Amino acid sequence: MSKLSKILLSALGAVACIGLLHAWLNLGFDPARLLQGKKAEAEEEMLRVGFLPVTCHLTCPVTDWINQNLAGKSRFEPVRFSGWPELKEAHLSGATPATFMLAPMAMALREQGVPVKIVYLGHRDGSALMVRKDSDIRTMRDLRGKRVAVPNRFSNQFLLILKGLKDHGMTPADIELIELPPPDMPAALYARAADAIISGEPFMGQTELDGYGRVLYQAKELWPSFISCVLVVDERLIRERPEQVQELVTGIAKSGLWLDASMEHRMKAAEAVATNYYNQDSRLLRYVLSKPPDRVTYSKLSLAREDFEEIAALALESGILDGPVAFEEYTDTRFSENAAGVGPHTWEAP
Amino acid sequence: MRSRLESLLLPLAVAAVLIGLWHAAVRLSGSDIFPTPGQVLTGTVELAQKGVLLRYVIASLFRVSTGYVLAVLIGIPFGLLLGWFGSAFKAFNPLIQLLRPISPIAWIPIAILWFGVSDLAPIFLIFLASLFPITTSAIAAVQNIQLVYIRAARNFGLNGVALFQKVIFPAALPQILTGLRLALGVAWLVVVAAEMIAVNSGLGYLIIDARNAGKRYDLVVAGMVLIGLIGLGLDWLVRQLGNLDEVQWGLGR
Repeated sequence: MSKLSKILLSALGAVACIGLLHAWLNLGFDPARLLQGKKAEAEEEMLRVGFLPVTCHLTCPVTDWINQNLAGKSRFEPVRFSGWPELKEAHLSGATPATFMLAPMAMALREQGVPVKIVYLGHRDGSALMVRKDSDIRTMRDLRGKRVAVPNRFSNQFLLILKGLKDHGMTPADIELIELPPPDMPAALYARAADAIISGEPFMGQTELDGYGRVLYQAKELWPSFISCVLVVDERLIRERPEQVQELVTGIAKSGLWLDASMEHRMKAAEAVATNYYNQDSRLLRYVLSKPPDRVTYSKLSLAREDFEEIAALALESGILDGPVAFEEYTDTRFSENAAGVGPHTWEAP
Repeated sequence: MRSRLESLLLPLAVAAVLIGLWHAAVRLSGSDIFPTPGQVLTGTVELAQKGVLLRYVIASLFRVSTGYVLAVLIGIPFGLLLGWFGSAFKAFNPLIQLLRPISPIAWIPIAILWFGVSDLAPIFLIFLASLFPITTSAIAAVQNIQLVYIRAARNFGLNGVALFQKVIFPAALPQILTGLRLALGVAWLVVVAAEMIAVNSGLGYLIIDARNAGKRYDLVVAGMVLIGLIGLGLDWLVRQLGNLDEVQWGLGR
């Protein structure tokens, strides 16, 4: 054998070794199980749920965490993304039939003919408009000519800014709007790349915790009972596995009530979620879930027509939607109605 | 011996100076967001202690090597064919030149739509990124073979597979290897972009994940340094191939 073929063979061998190591270390491949000839059971019953590490989606990991503790396993697999486009594309590809998503984004997808249905809310409030501590911006009016970062033009935070501008007699032309992924916002504010930033927590609280950010407005001051994210499912999932959708919605309802039941629950959830799902310092989640306690809430998550009609009107006005969309068209309220009477999980975190 | 020592000491001296400047710049600017070299080192140690460092390195190496090997397996034969058959070259070259400048980042949405959230999407992106340098270098390698080699081989009665095996491939090999080295660099370069897709391991993921984790820019820079160091190692490995006798053919030495 020539030296070259020897080298090529060893290179292929090295690639194969890396593949095996990857399967073992990262994909949970267990050689023992393969030898026993056992297939992973009920694989097709698992439902992947997409989410981002923001408090607007907190009930997703919390539901999974509580399910794991109550039943030892969960029929839902939370899949964490880092940005809105990837989250949306994974849902479109069918990889995550259920996903947390920005409400206007879901409405726009529906308008474009994507078979999505909003089945539940993710949270209430939990966004803030932040400026630098040392800036002289004190009210909405001071934002004139300033650069304001929103997470996405399909975000409710963007609509919130529009609403705030309108309520203060201003128009979008008065400020400079830019889109920025929420994780990059704190650094942008720190480096003065943006004069004001708005997204879901914990990225806003982080600027306070690190000592350079100041809350200009909590979302509720501009828009009471603010909603940014909703639980969206594929229509096919509703047709084929309605009981699993119900299980997910009921689970989220119970987890939400559980989170709001006591500060102790919140702190334990913050610890578990920061460590196991977000990979963040838990100090941050503990901070945004407690200072103040109603910074973000998870109790009133049922779908209500008025909430959505207000969002739809603003979305239409801003050009996110091309025409009026009917509440019945983009929502399926039955799961929310069935979950209306439930109480919090009766479980105390260890 | 002296030059050996020099080629080790000089780069180390440059690195030491740069690290010193980096440290001084962070200290002088008073930034508490940008990490110092020391913080990056602590962050790396923290990753190792958590046991994720090895996992992430393996995951990235897996995606890069799989995508790269696929690109080699398809790109070299394809390139050799196009280099040899003029009409095939005319038919496919515009398509290759059209696809070649499209950044793998532009393919991310399509990769997610096609492959969902699994290892396949990043592997596809790395495959794409390395396919074009490999294919184009193989094409050029065959096209640049000196005609005298082929005429001589024909005079000796070599044809078909034998001509290919004995003359064309060995003569093209040095330039193909240059393409391989280039492509490995590109494949490793796109690992961050490729791992932006919802995978939950890898050095690219480490960087994206650290951005989610608040003020963990020490881990962002740790990821960058690790990618750089492994890239350096990979390049060294491929360069060793160039020292083999078999690939000195056609270099006229």
